[in-house]
Amino acid sequence: MMEELYGNRTDAAMRQRFEEALLPHLDAAYNLARWLMHNPQDAEDCVQEAYLRAYKAFPRFRQGDGRAWLTAIVRNVCYTAIKRLRGRKEMEPFDEELHFPTPNPSTETPREADAEAVQLMLMNLAPEFRELIVLHDLEGFSYKEIAAIAGIPIGTVMSRLSRGREKLRADLAAFSKDSNI
Amino acid sequence: MTCERAERLLDAYMDGELDLPGSLEVEEHLRDCDRCQQRLEERRALVGAIREKAPCFEAPGYIMTRIRARLGESSASKPGWLRLFQPAWASLSGALAAFAIAMLYFLGAPRPGLNEEAVADHVRSLQAGHLMDVASTDQHTVKPWFAGKLDYSPQVVDLASAGFPLIGGRLDVLDRRPVAAIVYQRRKHYINLFIWPAGEGASLSRTLHEEHGYRTLRWSKAGMNYLAVSDVQEADLVNFAGLVKAHTD
Ligand SMILES: [Zn+2]
Repeated sequence: MMEELYGNRTDAAMRQRFEEALLPHLDAAYNLARWLMHNPQDAEDCVQEAYLRAYKAFPRFRQGDGRAWLTAIVRNVCYTAIKRLRGRKEMEPFDEELHFPTPNPSTETPREADAEAVQLMLMNLAPEFRELIVLHDLEGFSYKEIAAIAGIPIGTVMSRLSRGREKLRADLAAFSKDSNI
Repeated sequence: MTCERAERLLDAYMDGELDLPGSLEVEEHLRDCDRCQQRLEERRALVGAIREKAPCFEAPGYIMTRIRARLGESSASKPGWLRLFQPAWASLSGALAAFAIAMLYFLGAPRPGLNEEAVADHVRSLQAGHLMDVASTDQHTVKPWFAGKLDYSPQVVDLASAGFPLIGGRLDVLDRRPVAAIVYQRRKHYINLFIWPAGEGASLSRTLHEEHGYRTLRWSKAGMNYLAVSDVQEADLVNFAGLVKAHTD
């Protein structure tokens, strides 16, 4: 009886600490999930799942940046979900070279690229590029933080972000060229 | 430093992620190389466009409620896939269900945020058949109508040629103040565009919010807040907002 009471009290305290540490990052969690999953329903499911996993793992979370920690969990949940949605087919290791555009002789940046095109083209980027652009350019994580979140070396963050942007630039240039014809 | 090496380091340089010797090396190359300098400018423009134009998606308010409820359950310690992997309540769909949930949410929400309030205004304007106080497709009729009714003058833009005909305007209440609601049409759907002064408060960062089939997109420009709400497709709303933004001073 006493144990039960005591247990409930520590549960409540932990829950409160969890909510204070991680619920403020709900929008950041949702933003990444929404960009990775392509649609609101799947993003919602992944965010809720990530919070439950984070709660379970919370006793092991000591100090540090709750946002980065949660983001890493959201990312994992999303990748698992993407894998399942793709028919439980194992994802092949990401090969940047395969996704890299053939260099475009015209390096002109579409300065007037409209909002719709930017969103559309970013959504269509390979998820491995897309997530780096979202994590760095929208969420403002540093290369080091991204390396920890995505579990890749900093050098890979650097080259992949650079290539992702280059691909996005080329896609936008092609898009605005097409729509001008 | 070769151009090839500079190119590889350019993004990290721009992001402030190179160490000092690396930065100095890149800078030295940039001084002598117009091509790489131009590349850098283009990259800055691209990242600027991403930050300005790619929305940060905001979590619907009910997710917080759901998460907190599930943390309270003893089953919280057993994560399980939601709709993606289980038949569940989450698969509820259709306008009726969405509307029922929306109404529940509005009634039950302790303190609706701006987005919820805007969606509620939008739903109410359609329901009561009270979409417009002034019905006109002419911006020069709609704009003066607000004179004397508000302590500011909203810009009314004509977007008919882009497929968003203006159909009128009305007074509404948002953010605890009277605001101008400009009404546009997209095929069979309506878009309410709320305009009010940003005032002392922080301006709105460009944010797309989705909830129960309605989307809101808000931004600030030149001291005014703008919030567009509708059930049109996401791309349509983004496009609409881009057009309004481009046509307002
Ligand atoms: Zn060069």
